[in-house]
Amino acid sequence: MDAARVGVITFPGSLDDRDAARAVRLAGAEPVALWHADDDLKDVDAVVLPGGFSYGDYLRAGAIARFAPLMGALVDAAHGGLPVLGICNGFQVLCESHLLPGALLPNAGLHFVCRDQRLRIDDADTAWTRDYSTGQEIVVPIKNRDGRYVADPRTLAELEGEGRVVARYLDLNPNGSLNDIAGVRNEAGNVVGLMPHPEHAVESLTGPSTDGLGFFTSIVKRLVEA
Amino acid sequence: MSEQRPDAPGSDRRSRRGHDEPSLEWLEDLKSDADDPELAPVDPAVTEAFEAIVEEGDAAARRSSAANPVVPPAAGAEPGRPPAPEEADELTPTPPPAPGLAPADADAEFVRALAEEGPLPGVVAGDSGEQPAVSGTGPQPAVTSNTGPQPAVSGNTGPQPAVSGNTGPQPAVSGNTGPQPAVSGNTGPQPAVSGNTGPQPAVSGNTGPQPAVSGNTGPQPAVSGNTGPQPAVPGNTGPQPAVPGNTGPQPAVPGNTGPQPAVSGNTGPQPAVPGNTGPQPAVPSNTGPQPAVSGDTGPQPAVGGTGPQPAVAGTGERPVAEPVTDTVETARRTPDRPQPFAELGMKDDEYRRVRDILGRRPTSAELAIYSVMWSEHCSYKSSKVHLRQFGEKAPQSDALLVGMGENAGVVDIGQGWAVTFKVESHNHPSYVEPYQGAATGVGGIVRDIMSMGARPIAVMDSLRFGPADAPDTQRVLPGVVAGVGGYGNSLGLPNIGGETVFDACYAQNPLVNALCVGVMKHGDIKRAAAPGPGNKVILFGAGTGPDGIGGASVLASATFDDESHAKRPSVQVGDPFMEKILIECCLEVFAEDLVVGIQDLGAAGVSCATTELAAAGTGGMHVDLDAVPLRDATLLPEEILMSESQERMMAVVEPAKVERFLEICARWEIPATVIGEVTDTGRLVMTWRGETIVDIPPGTAADEGPVYERPIAPPADLGSLQSNTPGQLTRPSNGDELRRTVLWLAGSPNLASKTWVTSQYDRYVLGNTVQAMPENAGVVRIDPDSGLGIALSLDGNGRYTRLDPYSGAQLALSEAFRNVAATGARPLAVTNCLNFGSPEDPGVMWQFAQATEGLADACRYLGVPVTGGNVSFYNQTGTTPINPTPVIGVLGVHDDVRRRVNMSFTSDGATLALLGETREEFGGSEWAHVVYRHLGGLPPKVDLAAELALASVLVAASREGLLTAAHDLSDGGLSQALVESCLRGGLGASITLPGDAFVTLFSESVARAVVAIRPGGEARVAALCEQAGVPVTQLGVIGGDELRVTGRVGEAEAQELFAIPLSELRESHERTLPSYAG
Repeated sequence: MDAARVGVITFPGSLDDRDAARAVRLAGAEPVALWHADDDLKDVDAVVLPGGFSYGDYLRAGAIARFAPLMGALVDAAHGGLPVLGICNGFQVLCESHLLPGALLPNAGLHFVCRDQRLRIDDADTAWTRDYSTGQEIVVPIKNRDGRYVADPRTLAELEGEGRVVARYLDLNPNGSLNDIAGVRNEAGNVVGLMPHPEHAVESLTGPSTDGLGFFTSIVKRLVEA
Repeated sequence: MSEQRPDAPGSDRRSRRGHDEPSLEWLEDLKSDADDPELAPVDPAVTEAFEAIVEEGDAAARRSSAANPVVPPAAGAEPGRPPAPEEADELTPTPPPAPGLAPADADAEFVRALAEEGPLPGVVAGDSGEQPAVSGTGPQPAVTSNTGPQPAVSGNTGPQPAVSGNTGPQPAVSGNTGPQPAVSGNTGPQPAVSGNTGPQPAVSGNTGPQPAVSGNTGPQPAVSGNTGPQPAVPGNTGPQPAVPGNTGPQPAVPGNTGPQPAVSGNTGPQPAVPGNTGPQPAVPSNTGPQPAVSGDTGPQPAVGGTGPQPAVAGTGERPVAEPVTDTVETARRTPDRPQPFAELGMKDDEYRRVRDILGRRPTSAELAIYSVMWSEHCSYKSSKVHLRQFGEKAPQSDALLVGMGENAGVVDIGQGWAVTFKVESHNHPSYVEPYQGAATGVGGIVRDIMSMGARPIAVMDSLRFGPADAPDTQRVLPGVVAGVGGYGNSLGLPNIGGETVFDACYAQNPLVNALCVGVMKHGDIKRAAAPGPGNKVILFGAGTGPDGIGGASVLASATFDDESHAKRPSVQVGDPFMEKILIECCLEVFAEDLVVGIQDLGAAGVSCATTELAAAGTGGMHVDLDAVPLRDATLLPEEILMSESQERMMAVVEPAKVERFLEICARWEIPATVIGEVTDTGRLVMTWRGETIVDIPPGTAADEGPVYERPIAPPADLGSLQSNTPGQLTRPSNGDELRRTVLWLAGSPNLASKTWVTSQYDRYVLGNTVQAMPENAGVVRIDPDSGLGIALSLDGNGRYTRLDPYSGAQLALSEAFRNVAATGARPLAVTNCLNFGSPEDPGVMWQFAQATEGLADACRYLGVPVTGGNVSFYNQTGTTPINPTPVIGVLGVHDDVRRRVNMSFTSDGATLALLGETREEFGGSEWAHVVYRHLGGLPPKVDLAAELALASVLVAASREGLLTAAHDLSDGGLSQALVESCLRGGLGASITLPGDAFVTLFSESVARAVVAIRPGGEARVAALCEQAGVPVTQLGVIGGDELRVTGRVGEAEAQELFAIPLSELRESHERTLPSYAG
């Protein structure tokens, strides 16, 4: 079959869209550029919402982007099972869109934090993590200002109870996230949000590791099998 | 206070709303409201949504005062009140405490710092009855949990006290400078805050009447989540308070200037806002009676609430009666009208020259143009005669595609690729307003690079501050770092390196030098020129506002004195989001070849862009100033010409391509307006309201400014400084003392880990960063297929340059050259930022002449041309100049970045060797500075031939894959290089020192590097060194978890001198900056 087609949305202010597209390509799929002001998902097989600062994030990270015309189509498609990965600002947009529970607040230290972060994959059963094993430890960069994951106690209990925490910070919690949560998924497992940046750990020359590639190979394998 | 803002953690109610949300309609509604004279109410669904958010906000505010808040209060605030039981039951989750700096720790830290501060008033806590008055300098005491009247806090400088958890009347806070107190969680009347400068207090979560805030300058207080009557805020200047999420009557805000308050999500009567100037308040989504807004000027408010609508009786978009415009015709008729040229920084003879050029007196608009274009900042009038050497002495180089004089030089790096790079200062604005000063410094240099047709690919920053423990450094450092990071991170440009240096000479004059590098294909180079009569002049990007007016001629050229705070409004405010979309828009425009000339708007704004474009093109231009999109409709033409509003560009476009140009701008939602066209008249003509107000030959403003040959003389103290050699300083005399010196230096502010700074910068974005700080140089991949890439290093040393400016400039160049070569890159070209004191001081001018001569000579010797740069004069406090500080950037090329060498010791068992010759050189050294605060003697001897030889070995060895690590030796000598390489790689080393142990460890002799050799490569490295004439000494091997050093002290036998576990080194190296910067 043809290569899987993975869309990467560019919002005004998206920064890591080229990097996400590069990761998709390295994983063997075809990246497809999607534009925030369109309402057409171009028939892609999966979508990545990249990092950055959509619309300047003047109100709250992701709060304006969720109203982008393309997001209407995306929310419907996600409810229909389309695999969606939100990284950093993309995670914030997915929370603001209610595709994922919880919210991301300014880091506990109130500084932007950029560091090589050790993570543990706690759920290797999502569309985006099947190439990892549960409990596997990886190193990928984290770089953000509003990365502190919070949710109300009941939601948090649900996430933990249903095993929907996808990844957790090890060694040091860089932003004060509850329960060291670095990423979560929706109930169906097709929508994943992640604060660290796996697309920046896909080449040994430019990343701290190539541990991040698994997120992208996971989706490619799933699409090929489908 | 933002983390106390309600940020709904997915309550049921909110989740339910998810699917029937009115999508983008509400945004559209708000936009159309702004233009709608009838101010129609918005969609009821919107109101419902906002009401819900307000409810959630109230709930969150209650939560934040409960015992275990989801969201901890800001550092400095104590959760003062006991939780209300019913709220605690219902709403209080019990998450694990957030790690990191918990609020309580922050308080403890602050109290501890205070306790060590010496003769300051003590902490005032837990008392009842009347509290003491607090006056003095330095950080003020925390005032917590008292009852009874609180202390008066007056006449202080430095950060003001945190005031939390008290009951009873709050303190009066008057006549202070510096940040004002945080006031949270109190009950009872709040503080009166008057006559202060600097940021006003954050006031949140209080009950009772709020503070009266009057007669202040600087940003006004954020006032959120309070109950009770809101503050009266009259007679202030600067931005007015943001007032969200309060209940009770809203603030009266009369008689202010500057932007008016944003007032959203409140209930209760809305504020009366009469008699103000500047943009009026945005007042969306409130309930209750809306504000009366009368007698105002400036744009009128956007109002999107419910309830009775506001009376809006001001003027605004329609201009009020204006002063009579000074036209060319008027200027002819009134030749003797006095003009304020001196206030604009022009000398008598300069003003006379303008009159001679024009054959009449200039109009006020023309005077504005000449005053900014002929300022030191824009015309280089004092430095020009010295800078000419960079061209005259330039080495033969095929690499230079565009030389000095354009926005930035362009260098050929092979394979059809070209690179443009430049460093620029934003020193004075960063002292006045650290965050915005630094942020707009980054923004400006990035636009310079865009103007050449390049895609910006990375930034670097060279920062210098006063002593790390000085209170003002604790104001300036965090603001500057947050500003550099906030802007660069939002643009998506990786920060790949730089410097952070502390020295008392920069205490009231920090240096903020930002570098940007961009790439393009050879054919894509753009010029700042406006050729072709009939071509259209398009201004695009942000609107023009009143920011930075006069910044170029007044702010950048005046020495700071007691009035510096009065200049705060002159600092521009940056919007990185606008710049990000401007970058993408420009690149699309370039890709379709839609422009014939382009120029960024930086210092001197429209004046500079129009005169420079016209002067470099056909020579004529007609500009309609009425067409310039304004953020403030009351701006006068002189102000439009001088405004330094950020994120603006000017393009010259052929008429047939204008439509497509505007289409691309519209796609990126960037305002773009045709404001004029190119002519062949040889005159720059500007009209305003139908009358001609500017008619000048543009070259006379852009290129024919005054040139001064300023008097020069060596500083009077130079002789005594140079004769005060470090030879008499007592040196460590045994292993234990050497060990302690290694640790002392590793933890000294200039040599300590800069992770606190660099972790606030994104080094990964764009995915091509191969090396970033703390490596020798930043390395970026340009072409993923071939591996073509670049290396960049930015270095300076003010102490060396103070002792000998000719050598100091050459030493800075040598270090940057060596750093680039240490990664394996071939050094190719140079940029510079020359930071000096006042050119009117002959001593400073002598330093400048010496430094430029030294730099030009060394560039010729090393074969690396200067491609461009920047001069920053007037860096001084009173009459005391900073140490002269040329900051030099060297660009190198990697034919294949996969061959680069980094500084980490990671190869267990690899042989370590020292390349180069060590002499006894301690003048201006870090050792003398850290241990004795000594500055004297002469700096290390420059040896450019040895630098070339060393670089040739490093480049050849990396190309042949012979090295697993390389680190240049500079500040702190071999000791510091070993510390950094061991810690970076996580492996120790066993070293045997040749010669005297102290000299070998700490001397700062030039042209040296320590290398780790790939096993089997030792003989080949030795052969390369012999061929190039580079001395090589075997030092030891990598391995273990400690730095173990053997050697001899003085004439004693060689013996094991000391061993330091890496954990101890790391502790020493890494804790320093966080302990100062928090």
